[in-house]
Amino acid sequence: MADERTHESWKDWFQLHSPKLLLCARQWTRSLADAEDVVQEAFVRFWRNQRSLGGEPQALLLTSLRRAAIDLARRNDRRERRERQADEPDAFFEPLAGADDRRLAIEAALRRLPAEQREVLTLKIWGECTFEEIARQLEIPPNTAASRYRYALAALRRELTAADCHG
Amino acid sequence: MDEELQQLEAELKQLRPRAVSAGLRQRVAGELAAVRMSRAWAALPLAAALAVAFTWWQRADEKQALAEAEPSQPLAAGAPQPEAQFKPVSVEKLLYDAKDDGAVTLDNGVRVHRMREFYVDTVTWRDPQTNASLRWSVPREEVRLQPVIFQ
Repeated sequence: MADERTHESWKDWFQLHSPKLLLCARQWTRSLADAEDVVQEAFVRFWRNQRSLGGEPQALLLTSLRRAAIDLARRNDRRERRERQADEPDAFFEPLAGADDRRLAIEAALRRLPAEQREVLTLKIWGECTFEEIARQLEIPPNTAASRYRYALAALRRELTAADCHG
Repeated sequence: MDEELQQLEAELKQLRPRAVSAGLRQRVAGELAAVRMSRAWAALPLAAALAVAFTWWQRADEKQALAEAEPSQPLAAGAPQPEAQFKPVSVEKLLYDAKDDGAVTLDNGVRVHRMREFYVDTVTWRDPQTNASLRWSVPREEVRLQPVIFQ
């Protein structure tokens, strides 16, 4: 019965955390299909082997996610195949009732950010990580994480203001 | 950080990351279910060994009690030793998980609706002479295919 309960509990956990894990994975992969592969690999590894380890589960999962993404990027043939399938970008976020144009504009602006700024912004806003946690994940100083975050917000604001001006 | 950036930050926090697809959830469920099944199979030899050891221990204990109760009656030379007479006394079928894979295409191109059910079958044998019992549990996956008919 304990095993049954454990088996059920992954569903709740996955339901709660998988959207933000997928969004983070999207920042390190070239397509939604790659991001899903990475989330699957990292989550199954976490649930099988790492859940009982001490520490913050989300930090463990993010580390696992990033490693899986790096491994995937190294498999060149697979990556190229995925890239061919990734012609059309998939949505990062759920549609916003009554303001979906704004959501689309933000997504488009996010995609145009430099990758190192976008990953910090994603980890901070939707991954709910602190700058110290982001710094550990990305192996950069916390000050660098904080400055990339500010640059990302500023760049997003510029992009969105320009988009507003052009209607 | 200026007020405008703080407003943008607040606006970004309102956006909810897109939910994962049902396909990804199924893939994760499949992988985790496979782990559970393989664990169940790995535990099977241990369960069987324990059952056999328990039976042997119980029979040895009964023989010793019998010998202690009747110390003055030596067994006749060449007398046949009682053999274990295990008979099945119960069969249980426990459904512990079920998966609806939805419509799938088989290798031969036929579209079917696939349901998978995961059971643990437990058979119990008992030796009426010694009251020793042996229980055998086997995990089993049952796949049901129903042709999809398009109208």
